[in-house]
Amino acid sequence: MAPRRGTTRRRFLKSTALAVAGLGLPRALGGATADLKLKKPIKIGCQTILSGPLGGYGEFMRKGATLAMEEINAQGGIGGSPIEISFRDEELKVDVGVKNARYFVEDWGADFLIGIDSSAVALAVGEIMPSLDRVLIVTHGATEKYNEDLVFKRHVRQCFRVCVPVYQDGIASALVSKDLPVKRWATISPDYEYGHTSWRMFRAYLKRFKPDVEFVGESFAKFGTVDFSSHISKVMGSSPEGIFSTEWGGEAVTMVKQAKLFKVFEQTKAFMIGMGAAMDVLQGLGADYPDGVWASGRYYFGYPDSAENKRFNDAFRKRWDTYPSYPSETAYTAVQALKKAVEKARSVETEKVIEALEGLDLDRPAGKCVIRKEDHQAVYAVPWGQIRHDPKFPMPTLTNLKLFTTDEYYRKPPFAPVEG
Amino acid sequence: MLFQGLVGLSEAMYLWLVAAGLSLIFGVMRVLNFAHGSLYMLGAYFAWVAFRVSGSFWVALLAGPLVVAAVGWAMEFGFLRRVYSAPEAFQLLLTFAFVLMLDDAVKLVFGPVYQSPPTPAALSGAVLIGHSVLPTYHLFILGVGALVGFGLWVFLEKTSFGLVIRATAADREMARALGVRASRLFTWVFILGAWLAGLGGALSMPVRAISPGMGEFIIIEAFVVVVLGGLGSLRGAFVGSLLIGLLHAYGLLFMPVFELALGYMAMALVLIVRPWGLFGIREG
Repeated sequence: MAPRRGTTRRRFLKSTALAVAGLGLPRALGGATADLKLKKPIKIGCQTILSGPLGGYGEFMRKGATLAMEEINAQGGIGGSPIEISFRDEELKVDVGVKNARYFVEDWGADFLIGIDSSAVALAVGEIMPSLDRVLIVTHGATEKYNEDLVFKRHVRQCFRVCVPVYQDGIASALVSKDLPVKRWATISPDYEYGHTSWRMFRAYLKRFKPDVEFVGESFAKFGTVDFSSHISKVMGSSPEGIFSTEWGGEAVTMVKQAKLFKVFEQTKAFMIGMGAAMDVLQGLGADYPDGVWASGRYYFGYPDSAENKRFNDAFRKRWDTYPSYPSETAYTAVQALKKAVEKARSVETEKVIEALEGLDLDRPAGKCVIRKEDHQAVYAVPWGQIRHDPKFPMPTLTNLKLFTTDEYYRKPPFAPVEG
Repeated sequence: MLFQGLVGLSEAMYLWLVAAGLSLIFGVMRVLNFAHGSLYMLGAYFAWVAFRVSGSFWVALLAGPLVVAAVGWAMEFGFLRRVYSAPEAFQLLLTFAFVLMLDDAVKLVFGPVYQSPPTPAALSGAVLIGHSVLPTYHLFILGVGALVGFGLWVFLEKTSFGLVIRATAADREMARALGVRASRLFTWVFILGAWLAGLGGALSMPVRAISPGMGEFIIIEAFVVVVLGGLGSLRGAFVGSLLIGLLHAYGLLFMPVFELALGYMAMALVLIVRPWGLFGIREG
């Protein structure tokens, strides 16, 4: 494996400059796989949040997908066909998301769809995938209803997901919390599907692991909240010992800054932010990120310590001059998974690609993973950790990593209801 | 309980600064400036640049709004004054075009990454009120909001320039007939309005994540405020802002499910009962 990876990297470095030109002469540079005589180019429609206070988040997804496209095209595309990716702003709105999906397939001629940040959008777009007859790979929207209900129970086979679901935010977090000296928990979370479902899952599982916990307060903030002061003062009124939050993007940045002003970190023993280790949050808070905050993501650039992760980090930093955020990795993986599946199926036909994706093994930057056949969910583990300021890095990083096996925290078919 | 209201009022101060400028500009110029939220955003970005250059929050607080005032001058002098005689829809379109252009310009120059300088050390403390912690910064914001309100009142009620502004707002034709140079006055009013929005943005810089599009959320609330308080009425903008702040804070506490709708419900109620707003002047 090692020497081959070396040549790939060298070839990639050389070809980055030729990335655009590479579209035109794929055969000259790569040609590792035979020409599968597929349609040219293979089109992938990607939608993500690209505007507003969470827009920095989508920017990282765009960078990840673009890097995958450039690498693949520099090596001859998929079976001789170059990839083309188009990006649209999802705006976290259901109607916009559905419109984007229809536009991609019906007007632009997309062969595959990837992306989607909002859980509600993922569910709505998932509903129309059978009629659009395309494969959708979700790279961020995390509700468990997507894999458990839509795919497993209702057999919407076109839907896949390569990012860890709310099991990360709601169950792995409970596994961390059961060992913390905290009995009274409260939440400040987004007032939509993701925020509510994570908090419900966290409560149900933590209660199971540690029956004497109490959930004393909650405040849900609408999308586009620019000030968390009254949410913080409301929740602190219930004297919690720990705060659980699933705010993300710029809203997480604002929330942490203001919680700091309200001295929340002095008054509580633990603060958990499910998506707090996303690069946009780490960079956005910078020196302001309090030490010891528990944070995670759907991938953390520092984990695992593998050759593939190192290669991805190097390539990403070389291309974009920043460390990758988790949507970068999940979008990168979605494109790579499509390449692998199409090569396996020797076709871009939806039904054949679905069969190829089911049970597919991936060696992705986040680690080795398999796409579970029953619910089309990629299964891999992401650590939780505590924020620290390491002078070796230009942004805060994680320390004291807590890693659980997927067996410990992934819900499994037939998916018993989450009580509570 | 009371504490929650105090926090709500401090949140309302940013809104007040934006709504004050919006209302002032409408009152005098009869222009509904959609781009007013974008001026708030520019205030935050310019203050952030000034902070990066000088390392001082106070310099940033001074410089940011002044640069926004200059942008306001360019907007009025270069563009808006050409459409005063055009139908209102054209004015709206022009200011809306500014929203899109400024958002994209900011994204182009600063990138989509959230910027967030640290809160100044002098203001990052907190005071204990009962058992609750109120950040010094929130007290500072309450003070600045009240000060600006008082300053505007003195300016409009006690100075001769303020008198001219009020006279023009009340009857543009008559003021013109009496020798008021409306075009110069409009420029100054727009600059003042822009400065107020810029001040709101600059104040938000160290405590809210700065991002492109951050103005779009506040402009909608500011519109609700000026409709509530009465278009063109500063007193209305002040009371309207406080009302929205309190509705938000107490709404979260007592009826979190409806919190989002409360402000709009208040606006709808005012529109039905008193369409010219709480402090607006009935026309016709």
